[in-house]
Amino acid sequence: MNVEIKMLKTLQPKESVLIGGLPGIAYIGKLSVDHLIQQLKAELVGEVYSKFFPPYVMIKDDGIVELMKNELYYLKNENGKDIFFLTGNAQAFSPEGQYEIADKLLDWAISLGVKRVYSIAALLTDRSFETPNVYGTTTTHVLLEEIKKYGVLPLDQGSISGTNGLIIGLAKKKNIDGICLLGETRGYQTPEGLYVLDPRAVKAVLDVLTALLNLKTDMTLLDKQTKEMDDLIRKIAEIERNMREEMREATTKKPSYVT
Amino acid sequence: MEESTWIKHHKTVELNEPIAVVGSSGLRSIGRLVVDHLIKELKPQLIAELYSTHFPLIYQTIPAYSPHPELPGIGGVEIESGEVGLPRVQFYAHSHPPLIITKGYNANFNGQYEVAGRVIDFFKELQVRRIVVVAGYGSKEKKVCCAANEEKIIDEIKNKFQIEVDYKGPFYGFSGLVFGLARLRGIEALCLLVSAEPVPTDPEAPDEESSKMLLNKLNQILDLHS
Repeated sequence: MNVEIKMLKTLQPKESVLIGGLPGIAYIGKLSVDHLIQQLKAELVGEVYSKFFPPYVMIKDDGIVELMKNELYYLKNENGKDIFFLTGNAQAFSPEGQYEIADKLLDWAISLGVKRVYSIAALLTDRSFETPNVYGTTTTHVLLEEIKKYGVLPLDQGSISGTNGLIIGLAKKKNIDGICLLGETRGYQTPEGLYVLDPRAVKAVLDVLTALLNLKTDMTLLDKQTKEMDDLIRKIAEIERNMREEMREATTKKPSYVT
Repeated sequence: MEESTWIKHHKTVELNEPIAVVGSSGLRSIGRLVVDHLIKELKPQLIAELYSTHFPLIYQTIPAYSPHPELPGIGGVEIESGEVGLPRVQFYAHSHPPLIITKGYNANFNGQYEVAGRVIDFFKELQVRRIVVVAGYGSKEKKVCCAANEEKIIDEIKNKFQIEVDYKGPFYGFSGLVFGLARLRGIEALCLLVSAEPVPTDPEAPDEESSKMLLNKLNQILDLHS
């Protein structure tokens, strides 16, 4: 089993688009796609299994075991082209695996009528900002001009690692349109090296994507999560400021002992 | 080599929808201890062995069951009673009740899915109706808990044997992937996990007491007298 796409429903080919976002920096891609799936009530139509995913399983809260996998959802869109969504709990570990999975997914999507792929990823920055920028790269200049109209900044230089990047690169090879939107993030990490979620960047990306596709979604949850994250980061900054103050006082204080 | 994973068959057995009990080296060696005990007490017949070029003799990761893509391990052979042998998974058959007792072996990063997949395929050939994986999880509280690939199995184990769900999190190694892949091939799978105190300096240090706790529950569930 290199890559196995297990269909849970039979679908007829129809011109549609694919939106993909897999776990990566600050979980921007995955969170964006998961938000759309939840808000638009897309239907789970397929599961992707592969020997290239990390070799372990997860036991969930309810005691049910789950393999590492990607999931495919489908939305019959009344306001435009139908949409497939790609999300998952893992990405392939190696370049070989990332290529093979992206290749298989695109062949599957094309067979069902997908003509354009949107990929969502993160762009790490050390810039201070109130509102994150959304950067973009596309498979053609025409597409780039199109997304610029929505406030997307062209990514002149850089790289997009993993399947979120490769799926656009391979879309170009297969002669279908590809657009990658990258949410700007500081990419905070926990002491264990795990990325902290960045709902603010997710919302920035989704503002663009929903406008591009004429989708209506409720962002209240993302606003709430953004506020919670801001409060948390403010608290961390306050603790750090207090620690610095204590250290400064300790070093400037005269010794209270006599030798 | 033509194949990187292959099975050597020793005996053909006819068992009516057996249950496969699966254990391997892992946290505090619980799975291995339980399976070794069953093999010793029930005296099942060795029916097949699975070999793989992905089986290291020496692991470069600690613990061995937590593989790393850049640390494939070192291959080699084992010598037992003066005979040379390759690292392997062993399948034993027991008639009453019908069981396939499986002593697992942890592949390196690149071989884990392949090996677990071949094991599941072999179980399908043997018409295994349910897999029972035995393993340990890190905790100081002494307890046996369960997990499964279907809710109805959890309900059954809760109601009949008062074993609850307790552990959530990752499950690494041979037994974890066999457990996870079973659903894809349409085989029911139950996992019995016993708590064992982790020993960071020697993660596979045998925990006899915990493995006995798990064996008691397994004996009840499978109606064994081991």
